[in-house]
Amino acid sequence: MAALPVGGAGVSGQSKLNCPRFLGWPSSSLPGNPRFRRHPVSALPGSQFENSNDEKEETTRVGEEEKQGVSLTLDDVNPVGLGRRSRQIFDEVWRKFSGLGQISRTPTDEGLLDTVLIRGPMCEFTVPEAQDTTVLVVGGTSRIGRIVIRKLMLRGYKVKALVRKDDPEVVDMLPRSVTIVVGDVGEPSSLRAAVSGCNKIIYCATARSAITGDLNRVDNQGVRNVAKAFQDYNNELAQLRAGKSSKSKLLLAKFKSVESLEGWEVRQGTYFQDVVAAKYDGGMDAKFELTESGDAVFSGYVFTRGGYVELSKRLSLPLGSTLDRYDGLLLSVGGNGRSFVLILEAGPLADTSQSKLYFARMSTKVGFCRVRVPFSSFRPVRPDDPPLDPFLVHTLTIRFEPRRPKPVEVPSGNKQDPRSFKLILEYIKALPTGQETDFILVSCTGAGIEPNRRDQVLKAKKAGEDSLRRSGLGYTIVRPGPLKEEPGGQRALIFDQGNRISQGISCADVADICVKALHDSTARNKSFDVCYEYVAEGRNELYELVAHLPDKANNYLTPALSVLEKNT
Amino acid sequence: MASSLSSFPPQLAAPRRRSTLSSLSWARALSPAQAYFLASSPSSPGRHCVPLQVRCNAQTIVASDLTPGTPVRPTSVLVVGATGTLGRQIVRRALDEGYDVRCLVRPRPAPADFLRDWGATVVNGDLSKPETIPATLVGIHTIIDCATGRPEEPIQTVDWEGKVALIQCAKAMGIQKYVFYSIHNCDKHPEVPLMEIKHCTEKFLQDSGLRYIIIRLCGFMQGLIGQYAVPILEEKSVWGTDAPTRIAYMDTQDIARLTFIAMRNEKIDKKLLTFAGPRAWTTQEVIALCERLAGQDANVTTVPVSVLRFTRQLTRFFQWTNDVADRLAFTEVLSSDTVFSVPMNETYSLLGVDQNDILTLEKYLQDYFSNILKKLKDLKAQSKQTDIYL
Repeated sequence: MAALPVGGAGVSGQSKLNCPRFLGWPSSSLPGNPRFRRHPVSALPGSQFENSNDEKEETTRVGEEEKQGVSLTLDDVNPVGLGRRSRQIFDEVWRKFSGLGQISRTPTDEGLLDTVLIRGPMCEFTVPEAQDTTVLVVGGTSRIGRIVIRKLMLRGYKVKALVRKDDPEVVDMLPRSVTIVVGDVGEPSSLRAAVSGCNKIIYCATARSAITGDLNRVDNQGVRNVAKAFQDYNNELAQLRAGKSSKSKLLLAKFKSVESLEGWEVRQGTYFQDVVAAKYDGGMDAKFELTESGDAVFSGYVFTRGGYVELSKRLSLPLGSTLDRYDGLLLSVGGNGRSFVLILEAGPLADTSQSKLYFARMSTKVGFCRVRVPFSSFRPVRPDDPPLDPFLVHTLTIRFEPRRPKPVEVPSGNKQDPRSFKLILEYIKALPTGQETDFILVSCTGAGIEPNRRDQVLKAKKAGEDSLRRSGLGYTIVRPGPLKEEPGGQRALIFDQGNRISQGISCADVADICVKALHDSTARNKSFDVCYEYVAEGRNELYELVAHLPDKANNYLTPALSVLEKNT
Repeated sequence: MASSLSSFPPQLAAPRRRSTLSSLSWARALSPAQAYFLASSPSSPGRHCVPLQVRCNAQTIVASDLTPGTPVRPTSVLVVGATGTLGRQIVRRALDEGYDVRCLVRPRPAPADFLRDWGATVVNGDLSKPETIPATLVGIHTIIDCATGRPEEPIQTVDWEGKVALIQCAKAMGIQKYVFYSIHNCDKHPEVPLMEIKHCTEKFLQDSGLRYIIIRLCGFMQGLIGQYAVPILEEKSVWGTDAPTRIAYMDTQDIARLTFIAMRNEKIDKKLLTFAGPRAWTTQEVIALCERLAGQDANVTTVPVSVLRFTRQLTRFFQWTNDVADRLAFTEVLSSDTVFSVPMNETYSLLGVDQNDILTLEKYLQDYFSNILKKLKDLKAQSKQTDIYL
């Protein structure tokens, strides 16, 4: 700066800069240049008023300036510079003056509008979580997917789109700031790149034909592959954080050695204290042991009427973890497909006599399967007990009680006695509770599909849904009615479970549900049907219309979903 | 002065004589429903406002000839003026409601990328060059026209000639609906060129035979940010008038929302609606509100309306300052003690909108200031650190 005493001194006379005056513009070498830099950079992001004039400067005219004779230099009387400066001042004054004569001006600065009013917090679409959420949209060019992507972009999410081919035609359909990943849902290897870095997935791809192969590839295997790839990615992340991530399941028991069977005790009992009857019954027996093949098997028989056998253990949780941070139990079991009762004992640890019992039924399949039993499905044994608080759970029991065989169900070939059972236990884990859903799947209700194709389509969709539910991800399955191409937000929606819906729904509404569900804790682990509310035609109305249209700010999703069953 | 005014459409140039002349000319010449007007207009004297570039013969004008063919999807809309304050909110709202949005923007060196980022399609076209219009209308169901010429542009090229060309083209191509934004009270202030043009365009649209909705607006809250809120925060001088005019400012997001509700409502067809905010404010009141919310006094320079009016009178004397005079024309409105507001109850019930959903100016500015002040605090904390390094 020392090289520029002329310009520096001239400017400092009226500069209002807060910073030391000799450090402001070290690189300028043109004599007139400092003038354009003298204004303090505006503190507002993006607001770059060309002339950030002070009141003082506005009133300053050329003549007055010359009278500030103290630090006058050659540069200050340079007629070009003076003219330029006075013109800037005049322009600014004139701009403000003429602005008065107008009703509503377009702000001169578009950057300001953009950062605050459009992208920023002043926009009605803005979702606070959006900034740090990356969403992978599978099927981004579908009818729903297109709108989903636009909605995500408007809300400021980072969006990745999975497309099958890097076709310019396809890519042109998507907004330019969407990251495009080329891959095929049928090809698990191509999905790894797609899911990496994503927090959420919205799957709205569907088979283009009703050919079984296509259906299977997209609607069934596709969902499975994407869910698997995402889960693998999550596991990778969880491993990086040594199982401490919120996405890791908590291992309650793993049955792989003799030691791991310790603490589990086998008990038996009857519901009736009927000594006479017990005399004539065949009795019961059960054992829990590790076979030679390394399987932990709980097996036995119960011939006594009203009898049961159970396997029970006092849970010992790792330090610092409590079950209330978990959502339910996940059991990996095999066997001969009997149904069991899970019993949780909950109460203060010091005094087990005060413990309360909660039960939930668990049915298994022949062969290995994984069963999710949410804590919400546990009911108190005594009806007047309070609902289960997972925090207080201390003992887990698996109980077998023979159910009365249904007369129809016994085929002649099946010689198995329903009163004997075998249960191979692999592990028991607690499912982490997540606030939000990880994977949103747009499925369908089957209404509106040609009847001869419906079964095929539904079968594939169902298989896809099932594989998602088993994946361990937080899921939301949306089953819209027949899609209509019309603008959304016009009509009231019905959320239901149990395949009872009859109306169509617009693609935009489905997209809106998907986007709203991303951060809605009530949407986690739910499957639901959705369609327009039925509007009676003419004079056929039986009921008055009570529901409201979804309007501006209201979040219709939370109340609608909170009444629906979880883990469906 | 005379020569510059003669380039205006006659009914604009001579507002005082308008009442007798204009009704005649609209009925006869500006109605595109009558196929001959395009050919006949050059011969009719003083009507050079009708652009002649769009030439279509009588057959194509009959919309029924277009109906067999691929039906256009009702979700396809064209937004004209999509980069403007209102336009971008319209685009965002439309995209969010599931419309396929095409934006007509002028070709320019820095293209409007943000529109594409949101998922809209951008086509290049210029209303002042009518030959570029027809191609952009292919496959469009509804046109939403929120374009207004920039202050630095001569007012009649975009706002009058361009609009006329667009409406004619829309009619010729069988566009199903045309939404036009006008200014409230535009019929009462023929002395203001922009309002006069808006009023003429309204008339032209009404006579065109298109299905239309005209929406008259009062003022945008977004405009106040740059005008008052930012200068107050930056401790710069704020210029205001002592005019008693009250304007019912409205949030552009609300305008966009109501527009789409109106657009889908079959009952609101060929109607003129006026959207106004919940309360009408004077300039002084707005400044006082900003001061209170920002927690600091503004440096207000109050310019009496009389000065403005004098300047306008002065500038009208010279031909080279006529453009300036036009820009100051709102002075007349300002000094006329008008209230730019209408009771909205009827509109609300027509649209089925809850009054409480409409954002008030207090709430809007409060949101703005609380957001900005928070941001400023963060920035100040950062800049203090960098000061030390300097």
